[in-house]
Formats: sequence, C-alpha cells, structure tokens
Amino acid sequence: MFDKILIANRGEIAVRIIRACREMGIKTVAVYSEADRDSLHTMLADEAICIGPAASSQSYLNMERILTACVAIKADAIHPGFGFLSENARFAELCEKCKIAFIGPSAQIIHRMGNKSEARKTMMEAGVPVVPGTKEPVYTAEEGLKLAEAIGYPVMIKASSGGGGKGMRISRSQEDFTENFRSAQLESVKGFSDDTMYIEKYIEKPKHIEFQIMADKFGNVVHLGERDCSIQRRHQKVLEESPCQQISKELRRQMGQVAVKAAKAVGYENAGTIEFLLDKDKKFYFMEMNTRIQVEHPVTELVTGLDLIKEQIRVAAGEPLSVSQEDIHISGHAIECRINAENPSRNFMPCPGKITNIHLPGGNGVRVDTHVYHDYRVPPNYDSMLLKLIVHGKDREEAIAKMRSALGELIIEGIDTNLDFQYEILSHPVFQKGETDTDLIPRYFPQYCR
Amino acid sequence: MLKGMFKKTYTLIDTRYSSSKTDRGAEKEPSIPEGLWRKCNKCGQPIYVEDVVDNHYVCPKCGGYFRVHAYRRIEMLIDEGTFEEWDKEMPFSNPLDFPGYEKKVLAAKEKTRLNEAIVTGKGKICGYPAVVGVCDARFLMSSMGHIVGEKITRAVERATKEQLPVIIFAASGGARMQEGIVSLMQMAKTSAALKRHHEAGQLFISVLTDPTTGGVTASFAMLGDIIIAEPKALIGFAGPRVIEQTIGQKLPEGFQRAEFLLEHGFVDMVVERKDQKQVIGQILKLHRKEDGFFTGGVAKMQEKAALSEREDGEGKEPLPGGPAGAKSAWDTVLISRKAGRPTAADYIGQLFDDFMEFHGDRYFKDDGAIMGGIATFHGMPVTVIGQVKGKNTKENIRRNFGMPSPDGYRKALRLMEQAEAFGRPIICFVDTPGAFCGLEAEERGQGEAIARNLFAMSSLKVPILSVVIGEGGSGGALAMAVANEVWMLEHGIYSILSPEGFASILWKDSKKAPDAARVMKITAADLYQMGLIEKVIPEAENLSPETMSGTVSYMEKAIEGFFKGLEGMSGSQLAERRYERFRNM
Repeated sequence: MFDKILIANRGEIAVRIIRACREMGIKTVAVYSEADRDSLHTMLADEAICIGPAASSQSYLNMERILTACVAIKADAIHPGFGFLSENARFAELCEKCKIAFIGPSAQIIHRMGNKSEARKTMMEAGVPVVPGTKEPVYTAEEGLKLAEAIGYPVMIKASSGGGGKGMRISRSQEDFTENFRSAQLESVKGFSDDTMYIEKYIEKPKHIEFQIMADKFGNVVHLGERDCSIQRRHQKVLEESPCQQISKELRRQMGQVAVKAAKAVGYENAGTIEFLLDKDKKFYFMEMNTRIQVEHPVTELVTGLDLIKEQIRVAAGEPLSVSQEDIHISGHAIECRINAENPSRNFMPCPGKITNIHLPGGNGVRVDTHVYHDYRVPPNYDSMLLKLIVHGKDREEAIAKMRSALGELIIEGIDTNLDFQYEILSHPVFQKGETDTDLIPRYFPQYCR
Repeated sequence: MLKGMFKKTYTLIDTRYSSSKTDRGAEKEPSIPEGLWRKCNKCGQPIYVEDVVDNHYVCPKCGGYFRVHAYRRIEMLIDEGTFEEWDKEMPFSNPLDFPGYEKKVLAAKEKTRLNEAIVTGKGKICGYPAVVGVCDARFLMSSMGHIVGEKITRAVERATKEQLPVIIFAASGGARMQEGIVSLMQMAKTSAALKRHHEAGQLFISVLTDPTTGGVTASFAMLGDIIIAEPKALIGFAGPRVIEQTIGQKLPEGFQRAEFLLEHGFVDMVVERKDQKQVIGQILKLHRKEDGFFTGGVAKMQEKAALSEREDGEGKEPLPGGPAGAKSAWDTVLISRKAGRPTAADYIGQLFDDFMEFHGDRYFKDDGAIMGGIATFHGMPVTVIGQVKGKNTKENIRRNFGMPSPDGYRKALRLMEQAEAFGRPIICFVDTPGAFCGLEAEERGQGEAIARNLFAMSSLKVPILSVVIGEGGSGGALAMAVANEVWMLEHGIYSILSPEGFASILWKDSKKAPDAARVMKITAADLYQMGLIEKVIPEAENLSPETMSGTVSYMEKAIEGFFKGLEGMSGSQLAERRYERFRNM
C-alpha cells in the first residue's frame, strides 16, 4: 500500500480524497496554487506544496511542477481527482516513467477512450450497442442522404469541428435532409473552415444514464449500478440520482453486463464510467467512457455502501477488488445537487467572492462534500462548484423530501448560488414523477436557458 | 480562519495498511528519469521531448522553432515512401589540403550520420513530384563546401532535365572556411545552375530556415522564384555579431529575422512549419504545366460552380446605375472614391480561387498598397495584382490609402515578370488616387519605378488585362495598365491627374474641381467614346461588397471571353498587339 499520496487537484474532490487517505492511514500531500493558499484541501493535508500562480495552466495543469513536487516530497502515488489532469494520457504516462503510481487507468486506455471515434470502434468490436451513424466523414448532401436512409430518420447532422450547437441539425425526413445538411455544413465552413460532416441517429428526449464500474489489476470487473444524469443545462449536469426510476432490475442487469463487457474489452483498470443514451423504448446506446472518478460518485456510494475513492486507491496499489458482483446491492435512493457559485438570473454567470455566512444542513441521510467554510473567498480562476449536497432515503419520494428539506437548511451568503434553481427542479411535478430526460430543463425551465 | 486548527494525527482505522517502505528497493523510488524533459533554448521552460516531436519540432510552450535534422524535414515534407535520395556518397575532397579538415568532417559524419551537410533527392509533395535539397545545420553549420555545391548543382541540373520543380531548404553558416576560395566558387556554380533552370521555365522554391547566412544567402537561397521563410529564422549576409562589432552598435530586436525580411521585401511569405507541406503543395499545384494559358488551360477552364449558381445580390444581369449621363462627371468622381466601394481585395476574393499572396519587391520593402500573387481563374493559374485601398483607418494606414510607393510598383513588376516566366496571364486591378507623393518615394525613384513598369509591361509575352475599379489616378494607375485590354467600371475614373490638381494648375483654384471633372473627360463613358478602353462594366446602384455579385458575374464572363479571344496566340503576338494598342493612341 502507498505511504503517501499526492492529490493533484483542488476543491471538494481534493478534500474528499484526503479524507479517504486519512481513514486508510495514508499520508497526504496537497498541491495548491497561489489563489488556493486558504483553500480547505491546503490546510487539511499533512503536507502542502505551492505549485504556481493562480492560472490552471501554471499550476494544476502543469505536469512538470506536479511531478517534481511529487518526487521532492517522496509521495509514491498521485490521485488526479476529476478535471485538470485526470484524463490526460500524457500525464499518466509521465507518472509511470517517474515510477509514481497514477490512481486511475493506464495512459494507453485513457488515450484510447479519449478519442471518440476510437472508443466507438472499440465498443462496436466488443459488441456494445452504439448510436447508429457514420464512422466515415461525409462531404456532400447526396452521400449524406443515402446514409440517412440507411440509418433511419430522425437523424442528427453534425459538423466534425462543431460545438455548442453550431453546425448541428436534426433532419426528420428525406424532404428536409438536403436543406438541413447544406445549412449545417455552411455554418461549419463559416465557423470552423471545415466541411467534414457526420450523420448519426437522432435520439429524441433521451435519458443520460451512466454505469459506474470498478476494475482491479486481476481482470475482475464489477458494476455498481447506474446514475441518472438527465437533468442537464446546456450539457452541464445539474442533479444526479441513483437508481434510475425507469430501469427495471432486468434492464439494470443487462446494461450492467454490457458495461462490464465494455470495460473488459479494453482491459480496464480502476474506476470508470460508461455513459449510455437510453431512448423511450428502453434501447440503450454507448456514448463515451470516462476514465476517472466522477463528480456524482457519492450517489453510488450511498446506495451501494462502497467507498469508491478508497477502492480506487486499493486497486491502484495492486489489491484485488474488495467486493464481487454478488455482494453489490442497491438499497434506497440517493440524489445529489451541485451547488455552484453562479447567478441563474444572469445566465448562470460565475459569481466568485467571499462567503460571509454559511450554514450546512445535516442529519440522517444527509451528506455534504465541500471545501468551503465561513469567510472563504471563492477564487475566480476555477470551476464554480462550491459543494455537493447528497441525500439518501429509503425510496425516491423520501429522497426528494429529504433533499428539499436539506436545501431549505443550506444557507450561503455573500455570493450568488443556484440553490433556488435546484429547489425549483425538485419541486417540479414532472421531476417528482420521475419523468426525467435531457429535455426537462430546456422544456420546463426555458427562462434559465436563454 | 482554520489554518493550523485541524488535528493531523492519523486515525488508522484501516490498520491493514501499514507502511510498505521496507519491501521497496531504491529502484522503485519515484524519480524523474534523465532526458524526460529538455529545457527549451528559447523560453527556458521544461518541455516534454515527445510533445516537441509531435509539434513539428516547435516548442509547445513558447512556439520557438528548433532546428530540424535533414531526414526529419524530409519526413515532414515528402509523401511517405516516395523519397529517392541522390548522390548520397560523394568522395571527400580537401582542395587546400587543410590540416585537420578530414578529421573534422569525419567527426561530423559520425555525429550526424550524414555524409555531408545537405541531402538531395526526388520525391512527391502532396502528390506532385519535385526535387528537394535539405541542409542540416548540425554538419559543420551546414557550410557550403565543394560537395554541398556539387550536390545542389547536380540536383538542379537533373531537375531542369527532368522538368521538375526544385525546393531547397536552406540553412547555413556560409562558406566552408576550410575549403577557402573553392568554397566561394560554389556560390557562382549553384547560382549558374539555377539560372539555367529558370531559363528553362522551371520553378525554384527556396525555403529559408534558421540560420541562413553568408555565402548561401548570397547565392542559391535568395534566388527562389518564390521564397518562403520559417518564423523568426535568422537570415542575413553578415552575421549579427560581425555587424555589431563593425559598427559598434547594438542591433535592434528582430533584426535579420524572417519577419524583418518580409517587411523589407525579401521573402514572399513566412510560413509556419506545420503548414509548409500544404503551402508548398499548393504552389506546385499552381505551377502545373497542363493548366497553363499556353498549354491548353483555356480550353479546360471550367465554370466555377459557386459563381454560376449565384442567386443572391442584384441578379445575374447587372443593373446599370441609371444612364451614365444622368450623373455628372463630378458625381462619378465622388462615387469612384466612395468609402465602402469594393476594393481590389474583394474582386480578387470573388473572381478567383486559391489566391496565394506573395510579398516584397526584393529591394527594400513590401508595399501594402499593392497586393499580388497567384490564383486560379476557372482552374487556370493567373497572376493577379491589385492596388488596394483600406476599409478602415487602420487598414488604410497599412495600405497607404491605395497610393503605391516605388516598392509597390517594383513588387508588381517582379510578379509580372514571374508570370511571364511561367506563362501565366496577368490581371491587374487599378484603384489609386495616384502614386504616393512623399520624400521616401522620391528618394527611391518613384518616377523610375513607374517608367520601368511601362517599359517592361509593353513587351511581356503573356496576356495582360487591367480593370479600373475605382480611381485611375495618373501615372500611378498607368504603371499597372499597359495591357492588352483596359476595362473600367461604370463609375470608375481614369485621368491625367485629379480634378482638384487640374483645377489648381489651370485655374489656380482647386475648388473648381467639379468644372475640371467635366472638361477633363475622365469617366468610363468618355474614355470608351475616345477609344481608350475596351469595355465598360455596369455597376449596381451603391456598389458595395454586398451588392457586387452582378458586377462580378459580368466580369467573370467577360474575363472568360477575354481569354478565349486570345487563345492560341503566341507570347510575341500578344506583346505585338499590346504595342499596337498604344502605338495608335
């Protein structure tokens, strides 16, 4: 087992990892930027090293500095958390070259899964269902039309270089295909000087479902059930829950098996997430694989009783998984709300500043993961997430009630937060009924999506 | 604050994990292996070696360029598997019997695994065959001795024979001292071979990399029909240190760098390493023999689909802006000068494809008032040159309000002579209030530059078309209008001097310009009536880049007609026609 772990991250996830290490009797090293001198992770770790100025590129993304710090302070492993360097294959490779254990999968797997078309190809070969569409780029409307016929309408026309909805069109029939193709392509040429297009099946109002998997060095892979992350605003997750209401035991078993198969196909190791789109006919398609621990991992922890961070550290140190698939039971229901320093009425503009007063909820089944405290100054340089409020109830109804109650107790003053927006979502009848899909926020909360 | 308040004793709940330090040997201790990082010699930051390789040997942090080994350069440039090396083994020569020279060369061979400071051969670039030479600065600073000179000369001679373009990536400290005067002669030898290559109508692209100095700069490196430089490369004849010692002054930042040379008119363009293959491929494409005017290009001209399908704008038939008579001559003067009127850059962008701009007069400067380069018209390569006004104050300052300096006319002439060498028709866009009137312009010979253009253009052996798109101000306009045909836009003007100038010379009152405009006969209609121009191009009311499509498609058809009308003529016949055109005026 490791003696000392360096946490190459900040914020609540750094705090979360430090706590897990302490429980395991492992010494911790925090790295921090000049803007994070007073951040909780800096103060909580056994040792802390400043690795540069506030800009991420100069600190949390600076591989040389982090590795040099790790060697200097004699830590034997690095936990990358999420974001920053967590899915950087080069960083994982450099760790290996410096004989430092990277708590996560190998560089090769990160690289392979990070490349969307490569990941898709790998999954198809492993027999995992993927969204039907072209693997080859399309340049003309005529070619595209033929493919669209083969895939079946509705189809999504996507610019290879596109992003943020630009160069993207939905075509519902062959009548409007050519027009949509041309306008999407034109947009792409104008915006990105690239006329490369892709065509894939358009899945209407899909659910965003992800399966947590965990694998050790011995080829054992388990899945820990799903998380429903359909509540999104502009492709940003807002609220996550586990289990998903619409997934039956049988479907869970099926999807879980596929997820395990996918992980085995790439020889996966450590914690990972397989993302699926689930359509209204309960057909599911592989979207992508995240090769790191995720923000929303606590909901899985609450319903399975497993500590994912500790499990990550264990398998990275070469120990076998502490559980087998039969040991895993989903009990109750968990919901997580992400509380961010942002102003919903001003288009969710980040709102850094000093927290002048804070009260955190507590009690049975309420968990708060955060790095903020009274008088903490939220720096403007990083992600705006302040805390994760997670609740666990015997069923979804109880969990919703508990979350609403906890949100009511949560008080943050001095900066704007999205707390009320979360409360509105939890109070919405459609959400309460469990009819969640990625269209819920745009449809029922259009005022927040302008 | 919470600082120092947390208890940091380990609770050791999970006692299974006791220290494992004991079973770990020193070789497992975390450490950073030697050579994992290198320090960038430009920015001093640590950089990961593989990142540099992936980034075309450019520092990913500061963008600084590292020198590239010859074979790496070939890998980056030549299509995989198409390179065939020439003259790999050459016998060592020591013309001065210089003591220790052979040893030095052997050491360099050992170190670089090269046989000499240049690699030559044949390969394909983006599918187009070419002869390539690449200098390697690791080999005695890539100085040019007998073997380097010989390899270049042989490669060029063979290229001339096989009718292939030549591309040389120059890098050199200069002449090879150990070979003395023999080394000096290589400058003449390589230059002479390139002259024959040029006279055979073959292309030579010179790419200047860091550093290109001394005898190499003063010979083959500066003789490219097209000269490309790598960003920030040091390029000069005398080295900066020598200059500093001689003049006893510190040289300014950026002196003798690629960008400095661009500004001073000695390189056509500075191209980033990652784009070089594509740019060179494009240049080769624009020089394909089979598309040329004299080699069947006219017959192959294909309608540009985008333009023939044009649906927007004012419709296919251009709308005449009311009968020309309805506007007074002075109105026309004002329209021709109006801000917002399409500039030559707009016409170049709309009428041609693949435009590649070239810079510099090769004497002193790159003049922003004249823009020129190669493009294709319906697939046929042409040289296009335009006098360009700016669209805003900033651009106007860069373009000197469309008033060319002598450097601009010299650039235009250089590009026209280049067009003649490769049999490309020339299309000029005239739009200038007049040649720049200023101290520097006179110092560098404004009058001489204009005269030289009239002189040279009269006998160029390719078709020349000039279109007056706005103001055709005096000699400054004529210097780009000694053409087979001259056309004018409906509201263009072409005059001996500005109406203001005319009024103030004749009537001592520049306010009488409107009267002057009337009597001077300067509108397109006037000139057409006088038989001084061949065509008047109709304009939309309020011509602007948004409403110019009608005018553009009219011009496009007319240009096509112009080329078809001249098809089959020889270069001398074209020159003769031009001579007669002006002889009769």
